Amino acid sequence: MGAAKLLRFLAARSVKAVIVVLAIVVFQFVLIRLAPGDPASVIAGQSGAADPLFMQQLREQFGLDRPMHEQLLIYLRDMATLDLGFSHRQQQPVARLILERLPATLLLTGTAFLLAITGGVALGVMAARRVGRPADSAITVLALTFYATPIFWVGLILVLIFSVWLEWLPSFGMFTVGAELSGWAHALDVGKHLILPSLTLGLFFLAIYARLARASMLEVADQDFVRTARAKGVPEGRIVRAHVLRNALLPVITFAGIQAGQLVGGSILVETVFAWPGIGRLAFDALLARDYATLLGVFFCTAVMVVVFNLITDLLYAVVDPRVEVA
Amino acid sequence: MMTEARKAATSALGRRTLLAASAAAPALMTLGEARAQGVAPRRGGVLNTIITPEPPVLILGVNNQGPTLIVASKIYQGLLTVTPSLDPAPDLAKSWTRSDDGLTYTFALQEGVKWHDGRDFTSEDVIFSIMKFHMEVNPRARAILQRIDKAEAPDAHTVRFTLKAPFEPFLLIFDVTACAMVPKHIYDGTDFRNNPANATPIGTGPFKFAEWQRGNFIRMVRNEQYWKPNQPYLDGITWRIVPDSQSRALALQTGQVQMTTSNDIEPFDVPRFQQQPNLTVALNGWEYFSPLSWIEINNRLDNLKDPRFRRAMAHAVDRNFIAQRLWFGVGKPATGPIASTTRFHDPSVQMPAFNPREANAILDGMGLRPNAQGVRASIKLMQIPYGEVWNRLSEYLRQAMRQVGIEVTLESTDVAGWVRRLAAWEFETTINFVYQWGDPTLGVERTYVTSNIQKVAFTNTAGYSNPEVDRLFEAARNAAQAEERRRLFSEAQKKIVEDMPLVWLMELAFPTIHDKRLNNVIRTGTGVHASFDDVFLSA
Amino acid sequence: MSFWRRFARNLGAMVGLAILALVALMAVLAPVLFPFSPWEMRGIPFMPPGEAGFLLGSDSLGRDVAAGIAHGALVSFLVGGVSTVAALLLGVTLGALAGYAGGWVDDAIMRFTEFFQTIPSFVLAVVLVAIFTPSIASIVVSIAIVSWPPVTRVVRAEFLSLRSREFVQAAEVLGRGRIAIMVTEILPNALSPIIVLASLMVATAILLESSLSFLGLGDPNLMSWGFMIGSGRSVIRIAWWMSVFPGIAIFLTVLALNLVGEGLNDALNPRLARRRGIVVT
Repeated sequence: MGAAKLLRFLAARSVKAVIVVLAIVVFQFVLIRLAPGDPASVIAGQSGAADPLFMQQLREQFGLDRPMHEQLLIYLRDMATLDLGFSHRQQQPVARLILERLPATLLLTGTAFLLAITGGVALGVMAARRVGRPADSAITVLALTFYATPIFWVGLILVLIFSVWLEWLPSFGMFTVGAELSGWAHALDVGKHLILPSLTLGLFFLAIYARLARASMLEVADQDFVRTARAKGVPEGRIVRAHVLRNALLPVITFAGIQAGQLVGGSILVETVFAWPGIGRLAFDALLARDYATLLGVFFCTAVMVVVFNLITDLLYAVVDPRVEVA
Repeated sequence: MMTEARKAATSALGRRTLLAASAAAPALMTLGEARAQGVAPRRGGVLNTIITPEPPVLILGVNNQGPTLIVASKIYQGLLTVTPSLDPAPDLAKSWTRSDDGLTYTFALQEGVKWHDGRDFTSEDVIFSIMKFHMEVNPRARAILQRIDKAEAPDAHTVRFTLKAPFEPFLLIFDVTACAMVPKHIYDGTDFRNNPANATPIGTGPFKFAEWQRGNFIRMVRNEQYWKPNQPYLDGITWRIVPDSQSRALALQTGQVQMTTSNDIEPFDVPRFQQQPNLTVALNGWEYFSPLSWIEINNRLDNLKDPRFRRAMAHAVDRNFIAQRLWFGVGKPATGPIASTTRFHDPSVQMPAFNPREANAILDGMGLRPNAQGVRASIKLMQIPYGEVWNRLSEYLRQAMRQVGIEVTLESTDVAGWVRRLAAWEFETTINFVYQWGDPTLGVERTYVTSNIQKVAFTNTAGYSNPEVDRLFEAARNAAQAEERRRLFSEAQKKIVEDMPLVWLMELAFPTIHDKRLNNVIRTGTGVHASFDDVFLSA
Repeated sequence: MSFWRRFARNLGAMVGLAILALVALMAVLAPVLFPFSPWEMRGIPFMPPGEAGFLLGSDSLGRDVAAGIAHGALVSFLVGGVSTVAALLLGVTLGALAGYAGGWVDDAIMRFTEFFQTIPSFVLAVVLVAIFTPSIASIVVSIAIVSWPPVTRVVRAEFLSLRSREFVQAAEVLGRGRIAIMVTEILPNALSPIIVLASLMVATAILLESSLSFLGLGDPNLMSWGFMIGSGRSVIRIAWWMSVFPGIAIFLTVLALNLVGEGLNDALNPRLARRRGIVVT
């Protein structure tokens, strides 16, 4: 693929991506304002005291006394300068709140994703190569099991087994507070805390990728060019590597692209169970607190992540399958 | 700028006065008491504990949510605190006097007190905190502070307030949870709510704010310049934010944290921790707040506006069941509108007892006959969104009401939705609980008087109105003598129980569960809202 | 080979069908087996399974877990079924329009669909339920709103490939109305992937409902499995049975629906649709 062509493709896709992100922000902006109550009522509710003056002061402070279209325009204007606004509730710029918690979520979803994609594809390939045999059935059943189990329930059961009964792994948090570790000791500590949450989140997606990989492996294995290779006496291992796997990965990649956003959704549940300090939980708390700016900021971030991920998927597609032109 | 020598001199002076002051105040004689018990305070150690939910900001007054109060009360201090029997005790004020006409209060401040940024704490800070800061941002304090006619600072360590009229419970507003002292040099002339300094609270308390990783932990360290010699004993406190209740219980059980407070541990877990030999479960320390829960009834609606119907509802509820089965003995059944730990509670006034037969008889008498399904009337109950046990409570109430033929449909909300509907009177019934702040004038009156029927949450949103009750509360508010007030409040309690505008359920208590090695945790009527300057970890 | 014989040859599908039949039977027989409200506080709280007459134990208020699971089956099916039907109505309509009309209509609908797919579906469902306040209606509507995009994509693809086939063109030549052609000619031929998709969507809807309940966004008046796990999760260490059994119920039902879905897929599309078998909303 020529560099110029690639550049043109990227430019076109970027314009589209910006439009999509903008539309999502406007949509969510309107949507969350439909929720009953506002940040002032949450603060009143949690303080257990209020008077009309207090409520009015809060609403003025939050800029809620202006008409909604004006608030939207102000928000969009700020967005144009990449200013995600200020969380009055947390007394922090939204960008800072998100940047503080984004690494945790990226670590969690990234690890889960790697686990899911490598484990899933490996299992799928293994099953496909032994189709109809016990190993295939075992893998299929395993994948179905993870797929059919509520994600938070898996988390609870894992905690029950590995934290409560066996006492092997910590059940919550991202690292041991107060331990003041640094360097490798810190990384090891985080790693220990990461195991259960990423496993919980990863297993569900692992199941999906395994089934997907198996199905598409089988499908590709039936196709003419594979048969030809086999007839030519190419060793089976090489056929799998050179022909089948490469093509079978396509649907997995497509799907992973579409699913990027779902990982964030799942991380709300996992972050709740494991008290993982990420943006999924930040978003949920912001929703309950009607912390509009923070919530919109998180939506913006996930939308950008999804769009970027889809872009990467498209590029990867072109790499894996030379027949596909980036159009 | 003070010279080093002068600094040393003033601090030595401060220390001497202080020791004298603390010897004169039995409530704070922690060192002596501990020594008498053979448990001398030990320096050192960091207290790991939990805070849920995460406070939005740690500036008292700007934010007065429960978790904020617990955390920030280690950084800030008030002029006074309260004993478990709700008498005032010294804090930043070492002594105080009240004039005979009950109009003038004079406070003598501790000397040698410094803000965390090194500046001196003086009477100017007190006047600013009370007359400007809390008057503007703190709705609860404002209602009382408006009674102040004149605030003066004759010298750097004396403050005098003159009231417009006598106000007997005046001293109860000076606890840190109601009126914390904030630094004038940081806030004067600024927008209090949006002051950039709100990110780094500066107080006079035994612990200094150090670090806050949102969604993770708040860390505070020992204030080396604290005005009580050798105190605090702890090196610091780390508050971990753990949103999941089971994770919190696990952290406590495994010793990752040494203390939990307020709602951290769900009631059903409490019996388990009572069995654990290395932990202490304390249920006291909430006397100042005395949260009372009730079924809030919209007194404007059909059926619900009939006192007989409300009385029948009261008869249908087994408050002992609620206390034992839902709260597992944490807290006790309510008896009426004033909690037993609040001043002027009258034990002779008792609300209707659990008696479904009586409830049925009353409803029959109203002509509400059961239909084929046994349903006499249908009402909606808006759930209060404060966690598991409250959901179980509404599920219990639905079953209990069904027993007497009242069909209850539950409505689910979140905090914002609940407050909005409560404030807009858009509910039939809901569950509510409110702090009583030690005195009926401060925390009970607001729920029952006609003048406080407002479209704001935690006012008289039920819409109850009885001129006689209004008169009694007003007279009690203005009466200068405690005995006169007691008489008036007894009268008011009787009248309110006759009308049953609400169905009181529980005098709530929140368990403070801590490692047995942690000493002096609960010593005041505000419990874990104390400064913790005397808390220590024994070896 | 007939559809049924192909289906019956699939062991997994038959097992799934058997489980589903059992669950359905339980839902129907619940009022007979447990002739009382699942909310009734019948005994001592926290009784382990098998004790004090509680087959699967009692919960924190002394309610019968077994009764809850039996009565909850209907609710789970209801939530799964109704929200799937709603999502299908929306998704099939849009997909058929896009696929049949083509051109700018297709473009507009597909942009709209992509837009919805860019928003994480669970996040959107949470926001929607919070806005409408949790009730059975708002939960069903929210699940439907987040589940229709895959339907649209699948149906559009089917319509795209079917509309150029002879029988459609014949009908067009005969002058039949466009809507009539879409409904009576194309749709029946596009049904098999829709059916497969539907069975999987019911499963996903049940999972979604339980996740919402877990976050405290369930309907407080309905004893659903999701609600039971939600209320049991905080006591999992003292009463594991409260969340484990409803979890198993969800697992078995979702598993069964998936097995049946795969069986349907294989039976309806013996050659083609292996990879379409996995559609996660």
